[in-house]
Amino acid sequence: MNKNDLLLIIPIFIISLFVIFLLKFSNNQAKNALIFYENEQVLKVPLNINKTYNVKGYNGDVLIEVNNNKIRVNQENSPHNLCSKQGYIDSSYETIVCLPNKIVVKIIDEEIIDTVVK
Amino acid sequence: MKKILKFLLLILLILIIIYFLIIKKPIQEFSKNYFYMDTYIVVKIYSKNEKTANRVLDNIDKIYSEYHQLTDRYNSYEGINNVYYLNNNQTNQEYIEIDKRLYDIIKYGKNWYSKTNNLLNINMGNILDIWKKYRDNKEGVPTIEELTSVKLFTPDDIILKNNKIKNNKLNLDLGALAKGYTTQVVADYIEEKGFDKYLINAGGNVIVGNHYNNEAYKIGLEDPNNKNNIYKVIKANNKSVVTSGGYERFYEYDNKKYNHIIDPKTLYPADYMKSVTVITENSKLGEILSTYLFLIPVDEGQKIINEMDNVEAIWFTNDFNILFTDGVEFNE
Repeated sequence: MNKNDLLLIIPIFIISLFVIFLLKFSNNQAKNALIFYENEQVLKVPLNINKTYNVKGYNGDVLIEVNNNKIRVNQENSPHNLCSKQGYIDSSYETIVCLPNKIVVKIIDEEIIDTVVK
Repeated sequence: MKKILKFLLLILLILIIIYFLIIKKPIQEFSKNYFYMDTYIVVKIYSKNEKTANRVLDNIDKIYSEYHQLTDRYNSYEGINNVYYLNNNQTNQEYIEIDKRLYDIIKYGKNWYSKTNNLLNINMGNILDIWKKYRDNKEGVPTIEELTSVKLFTPDDIILKNNKIKNNKLNLDLGALAKGYTTQVVADYIEEKGFDKYLINAGGNVIVGNHYNNEAYKIGLEDPNNKNNIYKVIKANNKSVVTSGGYERFYEYDNKKYNHIIDPKTLYPADYMKSVTVITENSKLGEILSTYLFLIPVDEGQKIINEMDNVEAIWFTNDFNILFTDGVEFNE
């Protein structure tokens, strides 16, 4: 093993680690997020489409933003704004709970249907 | 030192290229809802061009609105010779000039009369009116005497010439094709404006372009027995999916269901299946075929569609079976 071998092996090693890392984190399984008001589901949104949603909360309108496969509460009327301070969540292990507005945002892993023919 | 630096930069460049190749970028969705032709319509355009997408969505409102007025048989509009006008102004028989768009739809429907073994009749509005009356009242069933007491016109009675139509023997009802026809016009307009990724849902009429993430659209088919269930998911791009079914507009009397798709030969609703879905590349054709297939027995429809190129169909039968044509397995 000489210097030239290392010159070849190390870059290839770095690149392949990088690709493995990317593939693991690039989500092929599209996810949905469910939005609840007072424990009842009011909306179901896909995370692979960037969009802002306006949901009625207990204290007024709550703006929920989907961006880059993540979701967060952007704006809400509450004393401490804790749930918008929480920022983005991007996995089903996390939940956003806005107690004053009684809004809960949860991510679920599931197959998305784009539309239904009636 | 210089050599190592160059080398590291090269690796960095390779890593950046790989990153952009692998990471899927989400795309923006622009959508608008409309309510025309008695249907809630949603159009979605996937693009990064916000300004043009929104302008196109605004113009689509105009397209649906104008086709709605032209094909409306219950309302008149100032200065427009629409279906209502044609059906209700037949004292002096003459050739009446109509909008080219209306002319083309009527011509399209008329041409399909003989091709569908005389089952697709866009000129039997008076028969449909009788059934609508009973459907609104949810009471009773018209007798055959009542149904044959009105004159039955056919598309052969429609005389078209040079963008004019003769106002004689007309009782037009374009309900069997107007939505699919107009939705295809809208899809063509979206493509003309340079957008290839879009989705249109006009009730039982869906058109999709290319997928927003280079996969395939997942289009659910509603279970005729349960609105909340989907009995099949079709995966497709660049297709039109149209369903004809008796389970949305119907009434029940004396334990029997009467839907809104009337067989011109029996003058009663067709009852061969619960629903049929047609997948084609063009929604004008899709809607004609789905109405046609609903009016003939399932096995006859299977034979006809299997002979056609680029058309597939799915039947939900009266005994709860799901039947496909040969090409549908490939869509899975």
